[in-house]
Amino acid sequence: MKKQSILKTSVFLVTLAALLGLLVFSVLASVTFGNADLSIREVYSVIVYELFHVERFAKFGEGAVHDVVWLIRLPRILLALAVGMGLSVCGVVMQAVVKNPLADPYVLGISSGASLGATLAILLGVGAFFGGNFVGIMAFLGALAASFAVIFLANLGGRANAGKLVLTGMAISSVCSAFSSFAIYLADSSDATAQVTYWTMGSLANTKWSEIQVILPVMIVGTLIFWSQFRNLNLMLLGDETSITLGTDLHRVRMFYMALSSIMVGFAVYAAGMIGFVGLIIPHVIRMFFGTDHKKMIPLCALAGAIFLIWADVACRSILKNSEIPVGILVSMIGAPCFIYLMIRRSYGFGGAK
Amino acid sequence: MTERANKDIRTEKVEVSFGNSRILKGISIEAGKKEFVGIIGPNGSGKSTLLKCIYRTLKPDCGAIYLNGEELSSLKTKESARRVAVVAQHNYYNFEFSVREVVMMGRSPHKRTLERDHARDYRIVEEALKTVGMERFTDRSFSTLSGGEQQRVILARALAQQTPCLILDEPTNHLDITHQLQLLRIVRNLEVTVISAIHDLNIAAAFCDRLYVMKDGEIAGCGTPREVLTTDFIREIYQVETEITEDSKGKLHILFLV
Repeated sequence: MKKQSILKTSVFLVTLAALLGLLVFSVLASVTFGNADLSIREVYSVIVYELFHVERFAKFGEGAVHDVVWLIRLPRILLALAVGMGLSVCGVVMQAVVKNPLADPYVLGISSGASLGATLAILLGVGAFFGGNFVGIMAFLGALAASFAVIFLANLGGRANAGKLVLTGMAISSVCSAFSSFAIYLADSSDATAQVTYWTMGSLANTKWSEIQVILPVMIVGTLIFWSQFRNLNLMLLGDETSITLGTDLHRVRMFYMALSSIMVGFAVYAAGMIGFVGLIIPHVIRMFFGTDHKKMIPLCALAGAIFLIWADVACRSILKNSEIPVGILVSMIGAPCFIYLMIRRSYGFGGAK
Repeated sequence: MTERANKDIRTEKVEVSFGNSRILKGISIEAGKKEFVGIIGPNGSGKSTLLKCIYRTLKPDCGAIYLNGEELSSLKTKESARRVAVVAQHNYYNFEFSVREVVMMGRSPHKRTLERDHARDYRIVEEALKTVGMERFTDRSFSTLSGGEQQRVILARALAQQTPCLILDEPTNHLDITHQLQLLRIVRNLEVTVISAIHDLNIAAAFCDRLYVMKDGEIAGCGTPREVLTTDFIREIYQVETEITEDSKGKLHILFLV
C-alpha cells in the first residue's frame, strides 16, 4: 500500500518534469512555424543573439528575419504560454470556488463583462484616451467590473455560497450581454459589428514585448499563489460546513481567490480576447489522470494549459495558407471532440459517480 | 466551578432562532471526559441545530459554549478543529478524491499554510484507516464506496484530527443495522468524549453513558438510559406506546407496540 503511494508521487514528479521539458521544447519548436519562410538556423540565430548577444550572430540583430522571430513570433508564443497557463489554473480554481465541475474561468460573468467593455470601446469609442489597445483595456475593466459586481452582490444579505455565486454570475452575464446587444443594435454598423464578433473569437496576434513583461509575471505569480493554496482548494470541494469542522473558514479566502483569478483572467482577456474551453478542458483532462488533489492539479494544469495553447496557436497559423483562424474557434473545434473522446474512453464522470 | 471547567464540552443557555421560530430555547448540556453522551428526541426538536452550534457551522444568538473550559467564540477555527472532530449525516462530493486524500484532510487543522504532509501524517492516516477497518481501501476512489464504507472513512478523517472530542450528527442515518452497530462500536472503543445525536432508542440505550432528551428546542429530561427511557416518558416525548424489558445480560430493550 505504501509502495503504491510512493509510486504515485514519483509518477507525478516525472510527469511534472516531462511537461516542463515539453513546454521548453514547445516554445523552441513553435517559433519555427509561421507564414514567413525562415530556416531553423536563422530562427535560432536570432534568439541566441538576443539572449546572449553573441558577436558572431550580430547580423541577426536587425532586419526582417529578426523582426519576424523576435518581435512577432516569440512574443506571441509567450503570450500563448501565459494565457494558456492562466486560463487553466483559473479554471481549476473556479471549479473549486463554486464547487461545480462545469465552471470555467469565465463563470463569474467575466466574459460578458469583457465583451461589453470591448463592444462599447469598438462601437462608441469609449475609453479611446487609453491609447493604442484601448479595446483590450476596456475589456479588462469590463471583466473586472463584472466579476467584482458578482462578488459584491453575492455577499449582500448573508455570506456568498457556491450556488449564489453561480446565479449572480449568470444574472450579471445576462445584463452585460443584453447591453452589448443593445449597443450593437443601436449602432447599426455592420463594420463595427464584424469587429466585435472578431474580437470575441480571441487572437494571440499583435502582441508586444511590453505586454508580455506584465502578463507573464502576473500569470506565473498567480499560479504559484494558487499552488500554495492547495489545502484550502481541496477543502473547498468538501463544502463550507465540513471545512469549518476541519479548521478552515473558507469565506475570506474564497473572495480572495475570486479576486485574484478575475485579475488573471482580465489580463488574458485584455491580451487575447475570449478563448473558451481551455479553462474547462485542461482541468478535467488532468483530473482524469491524476485525481482531484490540487497539490498536483495546479502545476500540471498550468503546464498542460500552456503547452496546449502554444500548439493550438501554431495550428491557427499553419492550417490556412496566408491567413489564420481565430484561436478561440480552433480550440473549441479540436478540444471539444478530443474531450468527448477522453470522457468516453475513461468513462469519466466529471468527478461524480462513475 | 473547577468541576465545571473539567468538562470537555459544555453549553450554557444556547439559543438559536431562524426568523420568528425559536429552534433552541436555552440549552445547557455537558459532557465529561471520555463520556458517551447521546441526544435523543423527535425530528425537528433541535438536536442537529445544537450540535451545529458546537461544531461552529451555526452561531448561537445567545448563550455560550465551552470546550475544556475555554469559550468557543474566543478560539480560532483551527484551534477548535483540533479539539472537536465531526462526523455528520451525509457527505456527498462532486469531485473524486481517493480515500487517502479524504482522510488526509483531517490533518489540515494541524497544518500551517505552506506545510507539506510529513511521514508522520501518512502514518496517522494509515492508523486511522486501520482503526475503522478500511485500510484495504486506501487508494480507492471515495465515491465508489458504499454508504457504510464512506461513513467509516469520514470517521477515519475525524480520527486523523486527533481530537479529544467527537461529535456524531446522526452519522448512522442511512446505514443498515450491521453498519450502524459497527460504526458505534468503533467509536465506543476510542476513549474520547462523544456527543451523538441518535434516532434509534435501542442504540442509544446500548451505547450511551448518559442521555439528553430534546423536545421543541428544550431539554425535556436527562440521565442514564435506564432513568430516561421509561414507558411514561417515551409516551410523553414520542406519543408511542412501548414495553421496556431487560434481556438475560441485563441490557435494556424498548419494544414498540404498534
